Amino acid sequence: MPYRIEVEDLNVYFGESHILKDININIEKNMVTSLIGPSGCGKSTFIRTLNRMNDTIPTFRKDGSVLLDGNEIYEPKIDVVDLRKRIGMVFQKPNPFPKSIFDNVAYGLRIHGMSDKDVIANKVEESLKAAALWDEVKDKLEMSAMGLSGGQQQRLCIARTIAVEPEVILMDEPCSALDPISTTKIEDLIHKLKRDYTIIIVTHNMQQATRVSKHTAFFLHGEIVESGLTDKLFMEPEDKRTEDYITGRFG
Amino acid sequence: MERRYPRVRFQKKLNYLKGDVEKMGQTSLSAYKKALEAFIDYDEKLVRDVNKANDKLYGMNYHLEQKAMSIIASEQPVAKDLRFIETCIKVSSHLKRMGGLASNIADVAKYIKDEEIPERPMVDIIHMADIVDGMMSKSISAFLNEDMNLVREIKRDDDKVDDLFDQALKDISDSMFQDKDAISFLIYLLFVARFLERIADRAENIGDRTIYMITCEKPGVAGRLDELIEDKTKK
Repeated sequence: MPYRIEVEDLNVYFGESHILKDININIEKNMVTSLIGPSGCGKSTFIRTLNRMNDTIPTFRKDGSVLLDGNEIYEPKIDVVDLRKRIGMVFQKPNPFPKSIFDNVAYGLRIHGMSDKDVIANKVEESLKAAALWDEVKDKLEMSAMGLSGGQQQRLCIARTIAVEPEVILMDEPCSALDPISTTKIEDLIHKLKRDYTIIIVTHNMQQATRVSKHTAFFLHGEIVESGLTDKLFMEPEDKRTEDYITGRFG
Repeated sequence: MERRYPRVRFQKKLNYLKGDVEKMGQTSLSAYKKALEAFIDYDEKLVRDVNKANDKLYGMNYHLEQKAMSIIASEQPVAKDLRFIETCIKVSSHLKRMGGLASNIADVAKYIKDEEIPERPMVDIIHMADIVDGMMSKSISAFLNEDMNLVREIKRDDDKVDDLFDQALKDISDSMFQDKDAISFLIYLLFVARFLERIADRAENIGDRTIYMITCEKPGVAGRLDELIEDKTKK
């Protein structure tokens, strides 16, 4: 099975704090992988390490390797902007730019050098369709994105992410601020998107992990306690700590 | 330091569910004992008691299912909790059927109460009934105490019951050939043997569900159970 991302012996430190400890995990192509674990266990730090978002934190340092398609992403020659184009991210709280719906999606295309208006318009339409938002916004593309509902804003952020054709989409609790209907729409979208993208999703909702992902990794105190097939992990976890966490006996 | 937030209410609900299964087990076992008593020494009151217990078990099974579904809907259990709830539903259904079969035994007792039963098949059936009594107790206890060794015993007992059932069939048919007039009531003895054999199967089913609950695996082929017990002991 080809791996999109291979993480080997990854340790992450913020100053003196040892945040991630000996992380080893392989992420398969075109699969959804869920990361679960209590708050502060290192899930978000981990996904931010995958697109080098932690680089902006002065005390950040790491050892070990993170390979994207077999190439080390922390090599000095790597262009971080290009890396973040290949590994897109959707955050917990929808964060559209205070611009029109159209410009939100076109933004990434423009900063990556695209200028042909027709090509941009086509790409925006394609991305909004892929994010299952087109039918709801096609007649008001010039309206401010801030006027959309929370669920629509989150799908807009997904459209903005996929417009630049990443290989991997990182989602940090993408549904935690959404109502159940919007959550269902995002989950349906995740199922659709996995045909073309590799998705890693951080979630606190166990049922969401079982619904959307093929693989799940359980983080605790900066370590991966257990990872494997989601069905197996939720039905028959091997580690007592995993069982205790998913059954709600500690959190 | 790790902070712990045990789901106290959820755990209580699981304990209540287990308590319900235990009560059903007691009701079913007591119905079975009374049915046997009525079979050996007919007493109409005992038959009525068994039938009442059977009705009660139907109601208990229904309420247990409702309770289990409500827990699933409100608590979204996973892993062993989910397997436990699923096993409670299954065990409850087996216990209800055991009560039904006990009631069947009590019902046919009246057809043989005044008859002279030949010794051979009666010995087979009484022997079967003793083993089945033990199997019922063991199956309930295996589930309640998560005791895989008891399941192993149940499986051995079931083989004995199957052998005795074959023997009983042979002895009953021999008796039928010897005295054709006896066929009219010996046929009921055949039913009793069949009911006992089916109760034994239900006890074995409870054992199998218990294994699944503990290990997430079906004992399946012979020897697999020993393997599972060994694995569990190592863990």
